[in-house]
Amino acid sequence: MPLLNLPDFTDALLKDLAGRRTELVTIPVIQPAAPFLDMAGEDLRRRIFTTESETGEALCLRPEFTIPVCMGHIEGNAGTPKRYAYLGEVFRQRREGPNEFYQAGIEDLGDHDVAAADARAVSDALEVLRALLAKDSGLAVTIGDQTVFEAVLAALGLPEGWKRRLVRAFGDRSALDAMLSSLSRGEAGNGSSEASRLVEANDRAGLVAHIADLMDATGYSSNASRTPEEIADRLLEKHQLSEARLEAHAFSVLTEFLALDVELAEAPAALASFADAAGLDLRAALSRFDHRVAAIRNRSGDVSAMRYRAAFGRPLDYYTGLIFEIGAAGQVLAGGGRYDRMLTLLGAAKPIPAVGFSLWLDRITAVRQADGKAGGTA
Amino acid sequence: MTITLALPSKGRMKDDALAACAKAGLAIEMVGNERSYRGRVVGDDSIDVAFLSASEIARELGNGGVDLGITGEDLVRETIPDVARRVAIGPRLGFGHADVIVAVPDIWLDVQTMADLGDVAADFRQRHNRRLAIATKYWRLTRDFFSAKHGIQLYRIVESLGATEGAPAAGSADIIVDITSTGSTLKANHLKVLEDGVILRSEACLVRALTTEPDRREAAEALARRFEH
Repeated sequence: MPLLNLPDFTDALLKDLAGRRTELVTIPVIQPAAPFLDMAGEDLRRRIFTTESETGEALCLRPEFTIPVCMGHIEGNAGTPKRYAYLGEVFRQRREGPNEFYQAGIEDLGDHDVAAADARAVSDALEVLRALLAKDSGLAVTIGDQTVFEAVLAALGLPEGWKRRLVRAFGDRSALDAMLSSLSRGEAGNGSSEASRLVEANDRAGLVAHIADLMDATGYSSNASRTPEEIADRLLEKHQLSEARLEAHAFSVLTEFLALDVELAEAPAALASFADAAGLDLRAALSRFDHRVAAIRNRSGDVSAMRYRAAFGRPLDYYTGLIFEIGAAGQVLAGGGRYDRMLTLLGAAKPIPAVGFSLWLDRITAVRQADGKAGGTA
Repeated sequence: MTITLALPSKGRMKDDALAACAKAGLAIEMVGNERSYRGRVVGDDSIDVAFLSASEIARELGNGGVDLGITGEDLVRETIPDVARRVAIGPRLGFGHADVIVAVPDIWLDVQTMADLGDVAADFRQRHNRRLAIATKYWRLTRDFFSAKHGIQLYRIVESLGATEGAPAAGSADIIVDITSTGSTLKANHLKVLEDGVILRSEACLVRALTTEPDRREAAEALARRFEH
C-alpha cells in the first residue's frame, strides 16, 4: 500500500486477520450518505463529511466499515456464512483532535450458532489486541446484552408500548432514567374528542373507519404514510397505557437489574439469584446467556478480565444482543456487538445474523508506544 | 474606527428595524438613493449601516463580518454554529414574531407530544420501510430539538425551501418543522402543533458579533444598550 502513515503493525495485523478465515475486502472511501443516515439518524450528519455528486446524490467519506461491508455482501449476493475483514481510514468530524483514524475489524455474517459466533467475536478481538500489545497492557473487557434487559421487561409484564420505549433508551442511562421516572408518574390520555368514545368502547373497527373517513375528508388518504389501522392501534395502546403506572416494585427491580456489574464468570449466578429474588422467570434468556458465557470460556480460557454490566448497551435499533468493548488505560481499543437487524434494514431478502468488531488502530499505536513496543510511525 | 450595523434590506422587517433604530435615537439615511444598500446614521460617523437580507445578516454576524445586526432569532440560531460563543442575542425588539414549531398531520390522533412522535419514529422503518421524513429548512434547530433535547434519532430531513406546510399532504414528508405566526396556514393544511412542539419563540433581535476585536465589541455593546426598553 502506498500510504505512508499506516500503523507500523499493519502487515502483522492483516496477516492475523487473514489467519482467522476472513476475506479481506476493499471499501471505497467515498460512500453514499443515505445508508449511514438511515441507520444512525440525521444527527450523524454533523459528525460525517458530506458532499454531493454532480447529480445531487449525497455522498460522504467513509465514517465506518460495518454498513458498507454489509451492503457489499447484499449487492454481491454472497452466500453465508461469510467472514469479512477490513483495514483502512474512517473520517469523522470532531471539534478537537484528528478527523481521520485507522480502523480494522471483522464482520461475521450468517452464522446461526449465536453463542459460538458471539464468543468468536470477543476472543478474536482480544487475541488480536494481545498480539499487538506488549503484555496484557491491562486489557479489560466489558460485556452487555440487550436480550437480558428485554427478558426482564417481559417477565415484569410491562405493556408493549413501554417495553419498546425502554428498549429504545437502553444504553443511554440518562434517557432510560428519565423514561422510568415518567412511566412511574403515568402519562396523559388521548385528548381527541370524536375518537375517544370509540377508544373507550375499544371499538377498533369503528375507530379505523372513523380515521379513514377523516383522511378522506381532508384529502390525506392518497399520500398517507400512516394507515388508519396504525393510528387506531396506537390510540388503543395509549389508552391502556394511560391507565397504568410503573409500580414501585417494577421500578426497584429494574433499578436493581441495571446496577448489576459483576465478573463475567459470576454473571450467570448473579443473574439467576437476581431473577429468584425478584420472582422473575428469565430462564430462556439466561440459558442463552449462560451458553454464551460457556462458549467464551471455551474459546478464551481465562475470563478474569471480563465483566458483565447489565446497563451496557447501544441505543441504536439495529443492535440486538451482545455488546462488548475492550479497553486499556481508560481508552476503548475495540468495540463490537451483534446487529442481527442491520442486513434486513439494508435490504437483504432474508434475515442474516451478524456480529463483528472494530479496532481503533491509532489508540492501539498510542498504547504500544507507551509500552515501548512500537517502532515509531514507520 | 467605524462599526457596521446590518439592517434588513426590504419589506416589513426593514421598516420595523428602521423604526427600532429611530426609537434608539439613530436616524438612518440612505447613502445615495433610496434603493441603496448602504446607509449612515445622521450625526454619527462611527457607524456604517449595511442593508442585507435577513439570513445574510445572521451569516455575517456569525463570521464577524458585521458588528451588529437586526434579524430574526430563528435565523441566527439556525445559521450560526456554536451560537453562544459567536454572538450575543438581545435586546429583543418586539416585532417579527414567529414560532418555530413541530407540526404533524391532524389525523395523527395518537400523536400529541414529542414522546408520541418518538414512538412513531422508532417503529417507522419497520412499518414503512423508510425513516420518518421531516420537511424543513431548519436543519440545525430540528437536529438539536429532536436529537439532543428529545432523544429522537431515527428520522430523515427532507430539505424544503418553500411551502413546507404542503409537504405532508403532497407525500414528500410525514411531518414538518417550520415557522408559524398565526397557525392559519397549518390549519388549512390539516396540520397541528405538538403540545411540547415549540422549538423556539422567535422575534427580531439586536444581535452582536463576539468574534470581532475588543474595541469593536465595546463600541457595539454600547450601541446595543441604546436599544434596551
